[in-house]
Amino acid sequence: MRPIILATAIAAAPLAAHAQDLVTRDRVGLPDAPNVMTFRLTPYDLYSADAATAEAFAELFAAFIRERPDWRIETQLQTGNIGQEQARLLQQTQAGRGPDCAMVDSSQLALFEQTGVLQPMNETFSEAEVADLFPYVREAVTNDAGDVLAWWWFTDLRVLYRDTSIVPDAPATWAEVEVAALAAAEAGKEGILFNGGRWEGAAFDWLANFWAQGGRLVDETGAPVFGEGENRQKFLDAVGFYQGLVESGAAPQRVTSITNYDAFNAAAAAGSAAMFVGGNWQYGQLRTTLPPEQFANWAVSELPGPTEDQRATGTGGWAIAALSEDPAKRALCGEMAREVYAGPGNAYQGLLPTSAALYDAYDAYEGPEFNLFAEALQNGVARPGAAIYPEISNQIQILLGDVLSGAAEPEAALDAAFAAAQAAYERQ
Amino acid sequence: MLLSPPHKPLTNGSEGTSVTKRGPAPADGRPWPWLVPAVAILAVFYAVPVLDVFRLAFSDATLIRPPTSWTAAPIRALLGNPALPEVLVTTFVFTAVNVVALQAFGLAIALTLVRGEARGLRGMTTFRTLVLAAWVVPGIANGLIWQMLFDEAPYGTLNSLLGFVGIGPVAWLSDPGMALVSAVIANLWQGTAFSMIVFYAARKAIDPVIYEVAALDGASPWRTFRSITLPLLRTAIAVNTVLVAVQTLNTFDSILALTGGGPGRATEVLALFTFNTVFYNLDLAGGSVLALIMFAVAMALATVIHGWLGRTA
Repeated sequence: MRPIILATAIAAAPLAAHAQDLVTRDRVGLPDAPNVMTFRLTPYDLYSADAATAEAFAELFAAFIRERPDWRIETQLQTGNIGQEQARLLQQTQAGRGPDCAMVDSSQLALFEQTGVLQPMNETFSEAEVADLFPYVREAVTNDAGDVLAWWWFTDLRVLYRDTSIVPDAPATWAEVEVAALAAAEAGKEGILFNGGRWEGAAFDWLANFWAQGGRLVDETGAPVFGEGENRQKFLDAVGFYQGLVESGAAPQRVTSITNYDAFNAAAAAGSAAMFVGGNWQYGQLRTTLPPEQFANWAVSELPGPTEDQRATGTGGWAIAALSEDPAKRALCGEMAREVYAGPGNAYQGLLPTSAALYDAYDAYEGPEFNLFAEALQNGVARPGAAIYPEISNQIQILLGDVLSGAAEPEAALDAAFAAAQAAYERQ
Repeated sequence: MLLSPPHKPLTNGSEGTSVTKRGPAPADGRPWPWLVPAVAILAVFYAVPVLDVFRLAFSDATLIRPPTSWTAAPIRALLGNPALPEVLVTTFVFTAVNVVALQAFGLAIALTLVRGEARGLRGMTTFRTLVLAAWVVPGIANGLIWQMLFDEAPYGTLNSLLGFVGIGPVAWLSDPGMALVSAVIANLWQGTAFSMIVFYAARKAIDPVIYEVAALDGASPWRTFRSITLPLLRTAIAVNTVLVAVQTLNTFDSILALTGGGPGRATEVLALFTFNTVFYNLDLAGGSVLALIMFAVAMALATVIHGWLGRTA
């Protein structure tokens, strides 16, 4: 066995060394390559803190650039502060100092499109590829003229996790969730956990309850409408669901301090929670974190709705967009999105592709959980592509904190949030 | 008792020209040529950005759109924002409690260190280093550290410790009132070291002969502290109060990591409100108005505090 391993290592050494030469902290490709494309990316793949992920992407990038020896990709790293980074990216691009190609948060795509900085990548993506995208993805990345303005390379969604030793059957409605969570709380567990602190995750996860009823945050012009008309009652009902969970003891008061998804993994590992509202990516994390016998107790199901037939889940993810008018750079940007990220990159990380065909192309998507995710994505709702969305999210976060901590009544909190969002919209 | 004569320059008879024992002063009555480089550098690095904030505050600029017109609308919008009073009250409470507590803890630790060193106690250097270690922790890391400690989960660190002595659990971050207390605790943990350094240096500069005379006169420790230490630390207290007040007023990174400003707006101080206005709302003009308010508050604090505490300095 040892000679085989040794021989393999020796054989692979030149390739590995070459990959290291081709991929550095700020470059992909040979340093003297004549053509240069700047690319601003997030710190979750090529420069991931996880060494294995970084290495896998380095290999993918090395293979990609070997086929294009005349090109050098100069990489620029974004920090994890998404809002600030995306605002800076947009500002720089408008001023002509932006990168040629960049990762854009899916919730920011419409804002980028409105400002006219996205450059079409029609030459790279075929009509069949575009048609194979999930509908909400296709709508987000194309304009009325049919131009492909970005490539949304992975998506995610929110699901309900439950410990089946405590909650055997998946609750399908709000009422069933409260009953199951109360029973778990009486047994000494935390019935259900969800993000309720002051951060984007709290607003985004909760919005599924609003969207499940058909609620709308903004109208066609991008103006806030969530606090008026029939949206108002839907909004209050969705807030009432969370408020009822906390007031009844089905959810602990501490949900108003939860500001990251890791808190749910910790609770699952400690065996202290019966259910939580989490992201699809946490399934893989639980699998690698929990002992096998403990992981076997955990199952995922679609988020509950006011009725069994009213379901929704928030969908996010990242897109890659060309910001340069140079056709060659636009083409390279699109090819990189397709060949590095959307296919093998997604499969390696277990992220959800936005194209149905890719689920059949990789073995990584054979688990039963992916059937559930694909089913839930049918009820996927993306955040509205409006410049006012970040402020609406901010106001929802404030509202949830005030209501769940007992500092405000839902009606008054909604009035305040809606007025603030409208004032901010007028200022924009 | 005058311990040392004040230094007084000699004059050579011509008004405005001073002569020291070593000869004419460098400026020789014409200071401006010498001051211009320093003033120019200060203007470029400090005044220009402040003036730019003034300019943006009277514009319709957003983070994605440069100014297209000049208007007082951002100021009117901010003054009419119902969230502003709550944010200002939170900022006042957070700053006031921190300034008082930082001085008290910093002074207590500094005096403990000096007394310990005077008595030759071992471990004083280690103690000083430990306090200083908190000071070098970045604000974001400080927030994350305390977020883990304040975790209200059944396995949370502080609540588990309190549980051993039959106390709690405490809603450190989920209760609006306690969340502000928790933010103050996190800031105190990090900021006390700065006050300690200022007071430690000032206390070491006091002539030990004065304490020896007080001991000979039979003064109690409290009387010594009240009549000697505190009056002679007056300048240090004035300077430290101004610095700590401005630092606390500008604090937002540790709160951002600890609570994000929540629950609701319970811990949203002015600096964090400014950050949210610019990066959530993309409202650069509104954020500039808030920055001007912070600038004005900091200047007023510095003037009042230094005028009050530092008048005999």
